[in-house]
Amino acid sequence: MTKNTTFKRPQTGQSASLELTHALTQTVYREARMLDDENYVGWVKMLADDLLYHMPGIETRYRRDKTDQVNDLTRMAYYNDNLEEIKKRLSRLETGTAWSEDPATRYTHIITNVEVEMTEKEGEYQVFSNFYAYRNRNEREEDSLIGNRVDIWREAGAAFQLVKRRIILKHNVLLSKNLNIFL
Amino acid sequence: MRIERIGREPEFSQYMDLKEGWLDRRIFSDAEIYEEELYRIFARSWLFVAHESQLPKAGDFLTTHMGEDAVIVARQPDGSIKVFLNSCPHRGNKVCFADAGNTRRFVCNYHGWAFDTGGELKGMHEEYCYDEIDIDRKKNGLKQVARVAGYKGLVFATFAEDGPSLDAWLGDFRWYLDMLLDNEEGGTELIGGCIKSVINANWKFGVENFIGDAYHAGWTHDSGCRSMNNGEPFPPVDMENSYHASVNGHGWEFGTEGVGDLFLLGRPKVMEYYERIRPKMAQRLGEMRSQIFGSVASASIFPNVSFLPGISTFRQWQPKGPMEFELKTWVIVNKAMPDDIKDEITKGVMQTFGPGGTFEMDDGENWSNCTTVNRGVVTRHERLHYRCGISRQIEHDTLPGIVYRGQYNDANQRGFYQRWLDMMEADKLDAMPERPEPRLTGVSETRDVPGLFAL
Repeated sequence: MTKNTTFKRPQTGQSASLELTHALTQTVYREARMLDDENYVGWVKMLADDLLYHMPGIETRYRRDKTDQVNDLTRMAYYNDNLEEIKKRLSRLETGTAWSEDPATRYTHIITNVEVEMTEKEGEYQVFSNFYAYRNRNEREEDSLIGNRVDIWREAGAAFQLVKRRIILKHNVLLSKNLNIFL
Repeated sequence: MRIERIGREPEFSQYMDLKEGWLDRRIFSDAEIYEEELYRIFARSWLFVAHESQLPKAGDFLTTHMGEDAVIVARQPDGSIKVFLNSCPHRGNKVCFADAGNTRRFVCNYHGWAFDTGGELKGMHEEYCYDEIDIDRKKNGLKQVARVAGYKGLVFATFAEDGPSLDAWLGDFRWYLDMLLDNEEGGTELIGGCIKSVINANWKFGVENFIGDAYHAGWTHDSGCRSMNNGEPFPPVDMENSYHASVNGHGWEFGTEGVGDLFLLGRPKVMEYYERIRPKMAQRLGEMRSQIFGSVASASIFPNVSFLPGISTFRQWQPKGPMEFELKTWVIVNKAMPDDIKDEITKGVMQTFGPGGTFEMDDGENWSNCTTVNRGVVTRHERLHYRCGISRQIEHDTLPGIVYRGQYNDANQRGFYQRWLDMMEADKLDAMPERPEPRLTGVSETRDVPGLFAL
């Protein structure tokens, strides 16, 4: 008997094939390397035109409180950007007068717990991951940002583009003076 | 409530000469001065605790701090708002750990003492262990602040039983506040949620930056301005038609060109919206205020609230030690605005003045470096220069307050530190001078005062 099942498209929510999982894992690692290197030209090329890049502010609330702090896009958010808005933020670095970026911040993004799942849409994949982003600056300023991400990546030719990212930082009070970083 | 202070009383006037225009750096890092600030300023000032829109229903609450004292702000069944310590009278534990929510009871995790939303003790775990003589429930509620009052949606509270009413505390600054709080029918609301961040800087650096430091904007924020507006630099400042106005330590610096801050937000739809309502705003607030609103401007309410009218960021600098503050930021919009305009403003504020905002990022860096460097044992004894525009005070027929000409000025900063000094030195709040003598005494409504400030 032929083992057709190996080649059958997994259903929505099921794990993607080994090959796809590998390709998307490499993609999010490559993206992290670009952010570490401040290679924002390269990073923007990985972003889809219809991007939603969302990192909500999360208040501490009791378990019984059903306020939707994650999906409600009208609430306060660190990021709630489309592609044009991301580009606007990045254009600050090209002005030559972004004083707090010179000397440069030193970044390391550690991406872990990558899972790739099929979605309803052909060519679009849901990628879960955790991040540990470390920053160090000037003499001894340092901080760590830790959280989860849920992404949608879309096949675009031989590569993938980020269509949607939801970032949940585990801070209530951001324990940093700013967010000169993408997660 | 009397705030007892044990120990020596330092002479605070040694730390500044505002007529000469200098400050001693020690006020930005000294631990003893900071402790005195908590007693003399934060335990006696009217402090912003909430916007009414955050507590629409009975049982709605939020937690915040007055100085470093944790408090709960709660909407009562009768519609009033109460503010009380977030600390159980039994052993002092916190009774509420959420930032906000809705509840019927605040229950202490330690021994199950339960309080209603007004702070009254309603019961406790294994109540039979207390004999009648042991406890009077009426006297063992959560400690109420001395006074709560509101001004056009903003809720303030104070631990001080004596001292001015909120209206007197704000004084003629209400004339300016109305540009933020009352520029359209229906008033204002805060967008849901609050973004908090920690900056290793003295709280006063945030307040003084917003109270009058237009001067830093064109330099510090050149990159922010250009990024939000297709490479365009800051709009030029008109030193002849821009002002500083200081009232009892509050301050508003502003141009009169009407569009500068709206431009900086980088949202054409929002600019169009305000242009559409500007004629109505002029009917409401008079021609002059309708031209001030939207200009390059920034403001602070003494001691620790700031905002940018037109950009719509609204924030509080919460002290957490001499060299750290927690910045709480909200977005303030008009209730009457359509949803898409509220969304545009919210996104615009977070892209400019959120922690990842193109403007905000350069500020925190400056303030934390000012604070840490000022602490050096030699450095701290060097004076700081606060003399800009010291001879440019004017009398203005329309503009209330202590008014200086020219937006690039240290005048409001000097006004803020004068009030700081007044409070640090005053034993009784009633004895504090009004700076300046108010024009609006006895008038609780600053809008619709016929003829008073008509151009």
